[in-house]
Amino acid sequence: MSTDRQSSKQWLLTLPSLAWLGVFFVIPAILVIVTAFRPADLHGGVGAGWTMATVHEVSDPAYLPILWRTVWFSGVTTLVCLALSLPMAFQMARVGPLMRQVLLLLVVIPFLSNFLIRIFAWKSLLHPEGPLTRLLIWLHFIPEDAMLLNNAGAVLLVLIYTQLPFAILPLYAAAEKFDFGLLDAARDLGAGPWRSFSKVFVPGVWRGIVSAAVMVFVCSLGQYVIPQMVGGASDEMLGSKIAQRVFSDRNLPHASVLAAGLMLVVLVPMLIVAVWQRFGRKEAVS
Amino acid sequence: MDDFLVIDHVTKSFGSHRAVDDVSLSVAQGEAFSLLGPSGCGKTTLLRMIAGFERPDSGRILVGGQDITTLPPEQRPVNTVFQNYALFPHLSVWENVAFGLRMSRRPREEIRSGVDRMLELVRLGEQARKRPAQLSGGQRQRVAIARALVNRPQVLLLDEPLAALDLKLRQHMLMELNTIHEQVGTTFIYVTHDQGEAMSLSDRIAVMNAGKVEQIDSPEHLYETPRSSFVATFIGDANFFTGTVVELQHEGYVRVMVEGLGSPLVLSNGTISSHQTLRLMVRPEKISLTLKRPLSGDRVNAFAGVVEDIAYFGSHTRYRIRAGEHHIIAQLQRSRFSGGEIAPERGAEVWMSFHPDEGRVVLLEDAA
Amino acid sequence: MRRSWLPSLITLAVIVFLFAPLVVLVANSFNASRFGGEWEGFTWNWYEKLWEADEVWESLWITVKIALSASFTAMILGTLAAYALHRFRSWLQDVHSLLITLPLVMPDILMGMSLLALFVLTGVETGLLTIWIAHVTFCLSFVTMVVLGRLQDFDFTLIDAARDLGATRVQALKKVLLPLLLPGVLAGGLLAFTLSIDDYVITFFVSGPGTTTLPLRVASMMKTSRSLPVINALSTLLIASTFILAALSFRLQRRA
Repeated sequence: MSTDRQSSKQWLLTLPSLAWLGVFFVIPAILVIVTAFRPADLHGGVGAGWTMATVHEVSDPAYLPILWRTVWFSGVTTLVCLALSLPMAFQMARVGPLMRQVLLLLVVIPFLSNFLIRIFAWKSLLHPEGPLTRLLIWLHFIPEDAMLLNNAGAVLLVLIYTQLPFAILPLYAAAEKFDFGLLDAARDLGAGPWRSFSKVFVPGVWRGIVSAAVMVFVCSLGQYVIPQMVGGASDEMLGSKIAQRVFSDRNLPHASVLAAGLMLVVLVPMLIVAVWQRFGRKEAVS
Repeated sequence: MDDFLVIDHVTKSFGSHRAVDDVSLSVAQGEAFSLLGPSGCGKTTLLRMIAGFERPDSGRILVGGQDITTLPPEQRPVNTVFQNYALFPHLSVWENVAFGLRMSRRPREEIRSGVDRMLELVRLGEQARKRPAQLSGGQRQRVAIARALVNRPQVLLLDEPLAALDLKLRQHMLMELNTIHEQVGTTFIYVTHDQGEAMSLSDRIAVMNAGKVEQIDSPEHLYETPRSSFVATFIGDANFFTGTVVELQHEGYVRVMVEGLGSPLVLSNGTISSHQTLRLMVRPEKISLTLKRPLSGDRVNAFAGVVEDIAYFGSHTRYRIRAGEHHIIAQLQRSRFSGGEIAPERGAEVWMSFHPDEGRVVLLEDAA
Repeated sequence: MRRSWLPSLITLAVIVFLFAPLVVLVANSFNASRFGGEWEGFTWNWYEKLWEADEVWESLWITVKIALSASFTAMILGTLAAYALHRFRSWLQDVHSLLITLPLVMPDILMGMSLLALFVLTGVETGLLTIWIAHVTFCLSFVTMVVLGRLQDFDFTLIDAARDLGATRVQALKKVLLPLLLPGVLAGGLLAFTLSIDDYVITFFVSGPGTTTLPLRVASMMKTSRSLPVINALSTLLIASTFILAALSFRLQRRA
C-alpha cells in the first residue's frame, strides 16, 4: 500500500519536468533527425515524403574543411582554457575564504554578462581604430596595416574568452574538495612544486578536468555568433552553416542534416566520458 | 517491577538483513536505560522504532500500557535528542525549544513560561536569541535536550548524546545528563556504542549484538558476570581460555583443564557437567603479578610466564605475558610493585595468579 | 613552505584578461570619441542617445516580461524536479536525471534549431509564447542543479526532529524544509532570470515579428556603426545590473 503511494508521489513530482523536457527537448531533437530525411518546400517549410537527397548533398567534400575547422577550433580552445584554469582553480582553492568569494565573483560576472556584449567588447578592442590595435602599433608589436579582426586568431581569442569561465567553475568546484594536505605530503616526500602539482593535484581533480573539457569542447562546437562577428569568410564553423541554411536559404532539411551531424559530434565525446566514468567507477569499487 | 516501556518481540528487516531480531525488553518508569552495542548491532533501528521513524515488521511497543506501535512520530509521548542534535538552523534557540509546544497549539502564555523555565534548567537563558550556529557544541546539546524535554515526554530518547563532543566536554555533560535526569525524573533511553558512557549514565544496560539482546543487567553485573564472551569483551577487557571440565566441586566451583596453563579452579554460574568444553574469562586487573611463586593455597590459581611487552598508562601499567601458547594481559595499579619487589622488565619471568572467584565461565559450548 | 608564484600570476592574468574588454567598454561609454581608439573627453552624450532610443526600452520590457515568467516557471518545475531526483532512486529518476543533464551540454544552436523545427512542423506561430517555452526549457536544468545542490546539503534528520516534536508531514515541510530551501530556490530563479535576459542564440531561432528582445536588438544595432557608442552605454548598464544580480545571488547562496 505504502509503495503504491510512494510510486504515485514519485510520478507526481517527476512528471512536470519530465513531460516538459520530453515535449520541448527530446521530441524536437528527434524531429531534427527526421527532418534530415524530408525534402524542403519552397516556402521555407518541410515537404511531404522521404528523401536521402539532402544527406547526399551534405556529404559533399566541401563540408569537410568546415567540420575539421570546427573540431580544431574547439580543441585548441579546450586546451588553452584548461591550461589557464588549472592553475587558477588551484590558486582559488588555496586562498582564504573571503578572497575565494571575491575571485569567484570576478569569474562569475563576465560569465553572466551578456554574451553579445562580450563579443562586442572584443570587436571594438580589435577594431583597426580600437585601443588594442593602436597600443600594439605604438609599441611596434604589429605593423601599421595589421588587421586583428576578421581572422582565425580573433575567432580563437574570443572563443577562449567566452568559454574560460565554463572551465574555471567546474575545476574550482573540484579543487575546493581537494585535500591540500596531500601537496604538503608530496613536498615532504621530496617532490618539487611542479611535480607535486602535476602528480598529485592534477590526478586529484581529474573528474573536474574531464567535465571542464567536455563542457568547453561541446559548447565551442556549436558556436556560430563568434565566427560571424569577429571571423573572416574562411573562418566559418559548422554552426555558421546551420544558421545560414535556416535564416538565409530557409532550407530546414538541409540545416537539419548539418544539425544532426553536429549532434553526433557532440554526443561522441560525451559518450566516451560516460563510458569511461562508468568503467572507472567499477574499477574504484572492486 | 512496573513495565513502563515495553518492547515485545520486535523484529525489523531491511531487505534480507535483520537489523532487529525478536527483541524483548522492558524499562521501568523513571529509569535511565542504555542500548549498548557496536555500530550495526540494531540499537539505532530499535530507537527509531520507539520514536516512530521505523515501523516494526512484527511485535509491539507499549508506553504506559498504550500500544504505540503504529502511531506516527508526532503522536507519540516520546521525544528524541538526535545524534547531531538536528537543531533548526533558521530558528533561534528560543524558537527551537518552542517548536514542539507550538505544534501542539498550547496557549501563548504556557509556551513562554515553559520555554523560559526549560532554558533556565539547561542554563541557556542568556543565549535564547542566538542561532544554533552561534553556540558551542555543549550548548547545542543542551538546547536539543531542552527542546525535547519541554514537551514533557514520557520517554526521552538520546541517540549517541555525547559522541559529537570532545573528551573534556563529554565528561562534563555526563554529569550534567545525570543531574537533569534526577531533576525531571523522566525515563531516559540512551543509545551508545561507548561502554564507559553507558556504564556511568544508566541504571541498566542492554548489550546488543547482530540484532539481538545479549544481556540486560546493571553495569556492575555486566562487568562482573558477563554471560557471553561478546559482552565480556565489549564491556572492559578480558582474557579468554578454552578448557575442559575435569572436576566439579561444591558451591559451584569447577576445575578446568586448560592446555598450557594447568588446571585453574573457577566459579561457574550455570549447570555444568564433567568433561564439558567451556570458556573461562579473567579480567586483566584481577590478575596479580609476582616474581616468585605465590604461596599456594589450594584455592589460588598460579602459572608462570614471560613478560613480552609493557605499556605504561600513568594510573596503571599493562603487561602482555606469554605462557605457552597463551598471551595474557595483566593490568596492575602502579603501587602494587612498590611494596618491596622490583617491577618486572621485558623478558622477565613472572608468576600470574588469580583467585577462583575472579575467574568466570562465560560461554558454555557443546562438548564435541 | 615556499609557494610557487606562478599560479597567482596566472590567476591575475586571467582576471585581467576577463575584465580588460569590459573595462574598456565601460570607459568608452563615457568617451566622446566614436571608435574609442583614444580618449577625446568625457561625455554623457551616448547615455542621452540611449535614453531617447525608444526601441531599446521596448525591447527591454519584452525581455524582462519573458525573463520573469520563464524563470518563475523554471523555478517551480526545477524545484519539483530536484526534489524528485533527491528523494527517489529508480529507473525513472535515472531517465529524469539524464534528461535534466543533457540540455546543460547541448549547444545553443542545436536547441534553438530543434525547437524551431518543432514549431514549424506543428504550425505554432513564433512569438512571445515560443520564446517563453524555449527559455523555460534551457533554464529548467540550471535551476534543478542549484536546488539539488541545496537539497544535498540539507540535513533530513531535521524533518525527523520536527515530526518527533509533533509536526505532521505537511507541517514539517512547511516549517522546516521550505524556509531552509528557499534561498537555494531563489538563487536558482535568479540564475534563470540572468540566463533568460542574456540569451541570444536560442531566442534568435524562435522569435517572431514584434518580439525583439534586448540581445536581438543589440545584435541588430551592432550592424549599424552609428549606434556603436550607444551599445557601449547600454552594455555598461547591463554589466552593472549583472553585477548587482550576481552579488545578490551570492548573498542568497551564502545564507544558512
